[in-house]
Amino acid sequence: MGKLWLICIASISILLPFLCNAFSPETPTDRRVLVLLDDFAIMSSHSLYFNALKSRGFDLEFKLADDPKIALQRYGQYLYDALILFCPSVERFGGSIDVAAIVNFVDSGHDLIVAADVNASDLIREVGTECGVDFDEDPSAMVIDHIGYAVSGTEGDHTLIASDDFIKSDVILGAKKIEAPILFRGIGHAVSPANSLVLKVLSASPSAYSANPKSKLSTPPPLTGSAISLVSIVQARNNARLLITGSLSMFSNRFFRSGVQKAGSQTKHGKSGNEQFLTEISKWIFHERGHLKAINVKHHRVGETDEPALYRINDELEYSVEIYEWSGTSWEPYVANDVQLQFYMMSPYVLKTLSSDKKGLYSTSFKVPDVYGVFQFKVEHQKLGYTSLSLSKQIPVRPYRHNEYERFIPAAYPYYGAAFSMMAGFFIFSFVHLYSK
Amino acid sequence: MARSLVGFTVLLLFLSICESASFFQPISDSHRSAAVELFSPDHGSLKSLEETYEALRTFDVLGIEKKPDVTATACRLVSETVGSSSSTLKDVFYALKANSIVKCKINDKAYQGIITRLNAAVDGASSLPDFYYSVGGLVLVKGSKGDVHLADADGIFRSVKAFRQSDGRWRSSSSNPESSAFAAGIALETLAGVVSLASPELDQSLISTLNNDISKLFDSIEKYDDGALYFDDKLVDGHDHQGPLATTSSVVRGLTAFAAVTDERLNIPSNKILGLANFFLGIGVPGDAKDLFNQIDSLACLESNRVSIPLILSLPSTVLSVTKEDLLQVNVNTVLGSNAPPLTVKLVGVFTSGSKAASLVESQELVFDDGTGMYNMKNLPKSIDVGSYTFVFEIVLHELEHEKIYITGGQKKVPIFVSGLIKIENAEIAVLDSDLGSIETQKKLDLAGQNAVSLSANHLQKLRVSFKLTTPHGLAFKPHQALLKLRHESKVEHIFVVGNSGKQFEIVLNFLGLVEKFFYLSGRYDIELAVGDAVMENSLLLAIGHIELDLPEPPEKATRPPPQPVDPYSRYGPKAEITHIFRAPEKRPPKELSLAFLGLTFLPLLGFLIGLLRLGVNLKNFPSNAVPATFATLFHVSIGAVLSLYVLFWLKLDLFQTLKLLGFLGVILVLVGRRVLSHLASTSAKLKSA
Repeated sequence: MGKLWLICIASISILLPFLCNAFSPETPTDRRVLVLLDDFAIMSSHSLYFNALKSRGFDLEFKLADDPKIALQRYGQYLYDALILFCPSVERFGGSIDVAAIVNFVDSGHDLIVAADVNASDLIREVGTECGVDFDEDPSAMVIDHIGYAVSGTEGDHTLIASDDFIKSDVILGAKKIEAPILFRGIGHAVSPANSLVLKVLSASPSAYSANPKSKLSTPPPLTGSAISLVSIVQARNNARLLITGSLSMFSNRFFRSGVQKAGSQTKHGKSGNEQFLTEISKWIFHERGHLKAINVKHHRVGETDEPALYRINDELEYSVEIYEWSGTSWEPYVANDVQLQFYMMSPYVLKTLSSDKKGLYSTSFKVPDVYGVFQFKVEHQKLGYTSLSLSKQIPVRPYRHNEYERFIPAAYPYYGAAFSMMAGFFIFSFVHLYSK
Repeated sequence: MARSLVGFTVLLLFLSICESASFFQPISDSHRSAAVELFSPDHGSLKSLEETYEALRTFDVLGIEKKPDVTATACRLVSETVGSSSSTLKDVFYALKANSIVKCKINDKAYQGIITRLNAAVDGASSLPDFYYSVGGLVLVKGSKGDVHLADADGIFRSVKAFRQSDGRWRSSSSNPESSAFAAGIALETLAGVVSLASPELDQSLISTLNNDISKLFDSIEKYDDGALYFDDKLVDGHDHQGPLATTSSVVRGLTAFAAVTDERLNIPSNKILGLANFFLGIGVPGDAKDLFNQIDSLACLESNRVSIPLILSLPSTVLSVTKEDLLQVNVNTVLGSNAPPLTVKLVGVFTSGSKAASLVESQELVFDDGTGMYNMKNLPKSIDVGSYTFVFEIVLHELEHEKIYITGGQKKVPIFVSGLIKIENAEIAVLDSDLGSIETQKKLDLAGQNAVSLSANHLQKLRVSFKLTTPHGLAFKPHQALLKLRHESKVEHIFVVGNSGKQFEIVLNFLGLVEKFFYLSGRYDIELAVGDAVMENSLLLAIGHIELDLPEPPEKATRPPPQPVDPYSRYGPKAEITHIFRAPEKRPPKELSLAFLGLTFLPLLGFLIGLLRLGVNLKNFPSNAVPATFATLFHVSIGAVLSLYVLFWLKLDLFQTLKLLGFLGVILVLVGRRVLSHLASTSAKLKSA
């Protein structure tokens, strides 16, 4: 019996580190998501979104945000790979979760989706601030757009917005164009210009502004025009991905199913773009798109196959690397034409675009510069929406050895000739001098 | 649990925002499409009999054509369950319920078996669910076969009633001390079954005490701000807690079932029934199959209940345009969207939102339109201009008898936006001289079309933008959004609210006071004007033109303009390629020239040789003796070897190999040379002395 226990504990302690980690190229599947809700009724009213996630193999665990039993980690191990906060009105999280815990969760490479709403609590605003966005401070402010609103028989106050100002990125929003505008009702936020990691995915139109629709506007609104971000994403330096939006209702079944007609436009779409937009963006958030890995970095002299320990100046060399993108189920070849290699010592001496064979292999060849020193092969691939690839490999470059220089220089032949004719003359002169009478 | 309740309140508020403030739409096509989607076999439901029944019932109520495969699956499940004696009581119950909708063929023998089983179960039942399933089963059998009755109805009634608590809630079994409204609903439905199955009539006093309990139960009803009523069980342990929807649904089912069998009129205020209907309609379209079933089933119960049938007043559109002369249309339906009895809809009053002034119109009746089945008002009253209003409606039933059957809920307030085209006039932009206020440049603006004004000003001048807004009825209009935006070349934006006095909107920007705010940035500022309101159909965002501002140089401590966001597209993307520039090879003369000079270098040697021949050199001094001759030969061979070594050094050898060999040859050369030279010296000395 005791032995059985021992085996149990041993196997758990071996398995534990593998149970739940952030996205890693080694174990990209089996992802567990904690969903914190204000109320379980959101499970039903937002079920289309949750079902879309479940059908892609995510294991969603629904908890009330103030459930005293919730925790993100236990014994130093994270229990989840991602967190969805659909609890705009929560004042205090239950259990051991607080803003610092969420920040640590993200700092360890986990993904986060935050949906705020009108009257969002200070706690959710604080989470937003930590993520690099600032929600409008007025608690009853909403995004209003008197030109780009969604036409509706029952909505008269123009807070239901039809927005179609997307970020231009296939990797974030999918290759298929989103035809129908996105229905949005909620609060706007601004992204800090100093923060280069936050991207506006869905911006408000230039005529939008953020204010309380019920009260008169006496001071200029803090957020106006396309500076208002409706949906933002963050890709942290550790490749954790975050989605922040000021509308919980944009995830709802009602908005998913609702038709949409933008004011001033004659086209009436049978279904809003919300489902496509949010599903595609969740694929990005959960690393089903745009997550790259580079393997098999190789370099060698032209005509050889082995990697040398160092190069000589003016050597011709070949460099190749294989890059793959995670598709949710498998690693697919990454196809791009802007992966660049740098041959770098203090500053790049050579910067060359790698040519791709469309199967993931990127290669190029170039001549080592005639400067010796310790160089690096550097691939710094940063592309909108993709995880950044940063490969570097150190390699020394030596000058010519003494016997590697040119030996017979035609221009010097007269000197050689002079020397040898002198020697021949000396040889003859030695006879003449010694033996002539 | 209280927390979840708060949450639910929040959700319902949020949903009610979605459903546009506090009035409810009856069941619509969106429910139908949701039902088809949720109750599809490939969606994972329809596995158990309970789910099958829920699907069938929802389809039945919503009038959706049953798919043949659903019916076939249901019938197969039903006959399997009914035929086997090992199936549970619950399964038998749901099989019979499903059968009551799909009407499968069940033979008499199976029926007899079930009746015996159910009767035995009734006698042996000890908990509320047992009674519920067995009595419910018998009621269903009676519905299709007709000859079922309970022998000891009185006794069963009493034993079910034993679960009753004093507050109107019920316990689900005698061992469970918790009472719940959910169980109350089940109990009521069970008792309704017992009443309908009793072969001699039940004692009326038993039923009337129950009537009292129902009133007590309704005392514990909870309320939302928008008038929706619901039941919720506040259990200490959430072990088998049902949500407010399931609980309310259970009570409604029990209530309507009981009201259907009793002759007495239940003593429930009819607006509570309306509140319950509002609760179910306020949920919208649930995304969960169970929730959808509860919603639809409860509404179906309310649709034909004997207490009072709620009538729902709804408007297809609450945004009316004055300019397009939209009709004010009002719909009155039952909860499931079927037609109401003959009635009149009265517009009692119209009030401006947020003010307590008297009604703007007199009470009037709306005209019924047979074609659309709606109540219309042809033209909006003249006193209604653009703005947001609260319209108050009242439903008046034509026949007095209907007053007892239907509940209309008294006066109904509906927020309505009346929109229209706003006239914009006298729009102009001017640059003023500060001290005198005299106009330097003034331009008219056409706010309906294109403008490209170009102005220039310095910090001692002022900019004035003014325009006038009037409603279609000629009154002053104050839009919610009247903003003037100045955008500098460096994308720094400044926004000003345009104030108004009466109809006239005017803003004067005194640049002297604004230089600090403008960060002393001189240059071109684009001017944008945004005028918009929820009821303004021609809201506009217009680029007026630009103004060239000449501001003073910033002082030392002036604040810097805030950083502007960087375009994300420019931050990424490939960099320009870099190729290394190699050191250029040294310049060399052409090979031919080198070879020509090589030839020239041999000329002196040639001249030397010719000179020697001319001088008539000879080798007469060469030693004639064998030994000195050998040494002389060796001497010259070694000189030749050393010279060849130099050639080899040039051709292939390195310095070390050369020195090694040279050392060796040098020693030989010195030894041999010494002998030869001493021999020659002695020979010449002899000659001189001789």
